[in-house]
Amino acid sequence: MKIIEIKNLHKIYNGSSVSVHAVNGIDMSIEEGEFTAIVGPSGSGKTTLLNIIGGLDDATEGSVEIEGVKINELSSRKLTDFRMKNIGFVFQAYNLIPVLTAKENVEFIMHLQGSKKADRDARTSELLKAVGLGEMMDRRPSKLSGGQQQRVAVARALASKPKFVLADEPTANLDSHSTENLLDIMEQLNKEEKITFIFSTHDQRVVNKARRVITIEDGKIISDIRK
Amino acid sequence: MKTNIKLAWRNLWRNKRRTIIAISSIVFSVLLASWMRSMQEGSYDSMIDNSVKFYTGYLQVQDTAYWDERTLDNSFKVDAELQNQIKNIKDVSLVSNRLESFSLAADHMKSKPAMVMGIEPEAEDQITNLSKKMQSGEFIKSGDKEVVISGGLAKYLELEVGDTLVMISQGYHGISASGLFPIKGIIKHPNAEFNKRLVYMDIETAREFYSAYGLSTSLVVMTDDHYSVNHIKKEIEQILPEKNTVMTWTEMTPELVQIIQSDRGGGIIMLGILYLVIAFGMFSVVIMMVKERQREFGVTHAVGMQKRKLASLVFIETLFIGLIGCAVGLIFSYFFCLYFFYNPIPLTGDMAKATEIYGMEPYMFVSMKASLFYNQIIVVFLISIFIAIFPITNVSRLKITKAMRA
Repeated sequence: MKIIEIKNLHKIYNGSSVSVHAVNGIDMSIEEGEFTAIVGPSGSGKTTLLNIIGGLDDATEGSVEIEGVKINELSSRKLTDFRMKNIGFVFQAYNLIPVLTAKENVEFIMHLQGSKKADRDARTSELLKAVGLGEMMDRRPSKLSGGQQQRVAVARALASKPKFVLADEPTANLDSHSTENLLDIMEQLNKEEKITFIFSTHDQRVVNKARRVITIEDGKIISDIRK
Repeated sequence: MKTNIKLAWRNLWRNKRRTIIAISSIVFSVLLASWMRSMQEGSYDSMIDNSVKFYTGYLQVQDTAYWDERTLDNSFKVDAELQNQIKNIKDVSLVSNRLESFSLAADHMKSKPAMVMGIEPEAEDQITNLSKKMQSGEFIKSGDKEVVISGGLAKYLELEVGDTLVMISQGYHGISASGLFPIKGIIKHPNAEFNKRLVYMDIETAREFYSAYGLSTSLVVMTDDHYSVNHIKKEIEQILPEKNTVMTWTEMTPELVQIIQSDRGGGIIMLGILYLVIAFGMFSVVIMMVKERQREFGVTHAVGMQKRKLASLVFIETLFIGLIGCAVGLIFSYFFCLYFFYNPIPLTGDMAKATEIYGMEPYMFVSMKASLFYNQIIVVFLISIFIAIFPITNVSRLKITKAMRA
């Protein structure tokens, strides 16, 4: 079942002297439960594509439909709400809230959703255990390693039970051990809980784990391989 | 909301040094503003106390013709019932009869025009503590035929306690008035002008001297709080007979009111400048707070926090800084000013002389009027609300992708 459908997507950045066609007529779809890596050289348009899919950036032309909802037609407020309920984000620089503990960072989105305390506690505990941080719930990000922070970020991304998770270069700042660890966790969540993951990455280890690899260059898809 | 408050509180302390500096600047500003206003109002209170308490009183009931032509012929008979009714008005602390006139005061060699105050000694002493200002001898009591004269007059006439003061004047309806009065005490009057020419005597002795039996030139009404003068005036007006009028100290000493108003205006301009400094200090902290957290704002908005909630978070942080600064500032200011309220700073040299010439005691007094303190809090609080507009605007214009690159 398709959860994301992208049609004729364009994104043009108009600079003072030159215009950059970051995304140039992309058509693609993502099926539920896929473990997809979007690869390509720097400046190929991977992050821009991910940002548009996640409703973080506007497309210049074309549409992104998530389970039948055209997100580029939503108002800013509805789009924020839509992101909160349907999309999980994992960022390259972890981007946890520094003043909150691991547990509170994971809980944060559930707070925004208005979940009950008992539900929040149960879900947070379950997720942090799933990413191997059950013993470090009360630590703030500054007391966690890069790999541990990124695992908290994965738990946070899953807290709202999203339809899919967008991970922008999630392993770029991690050492090999942490990368392996993180990928194993995400692969496990994908297989066991049928969570759809879409990565943008340079990292060959991520590409090796992915079951679908989309290669982009100059804003266009040049290959789309299902393993 | 609870989450926002918790987040805001923690955010405040993620950069402790910056927050402490911001709060300290507000504390210092509130302290400075309160101290400045407190000293200013304290000096006015002192001016009012000296000029008003020792001369006009806060309010005076007079014959309608007296203020324009201050002679004994425009004195009036005080109705005991009226006096009682005035006494019972809220905030009135004391009502006292006075008979004021002039006389030529002399000893065997010299003479000098003197101002004669026929007073109710015990009542007057409650208001002015004149008995504590005695240079030598004692203060008069009711029924005394003796007088108390001011230090300057005693010095000029070379008189001492126990000597006799000769007084010649014109009494009620032109009757000649003359008398010999033993000097019971010499007073150092705080008002330098009055110190040169004042004679206090019991009102009954004065009435007898001026043949103004049963008459008073004014009924002085005192209050402990000069801010309640207007309401007292209104209530007195309702019970006064037609031949009488009531005047407040501001009507009797308009020049004093003018001095206070112009000085207060200058003080308020200075205060405005101080508030500007506070505002810029707070603003710079808020700009830093907002600019260094653009990425964080981007992420929290990306994961689903509405801009409205994000703005309220930063708004709460700004309010926290303002509120903590104000609360600590209030405590510091209160105790700081309280110390100087009980220990006024003595003036020395030319400053002291100038103050004495204007009839004031040579001290820098402070006022502990509550509004002086809470007004600063209100203003600083309003400034923090005004400053909070900046982060709100910043958040409302937030572009996630741009913020996350910051």
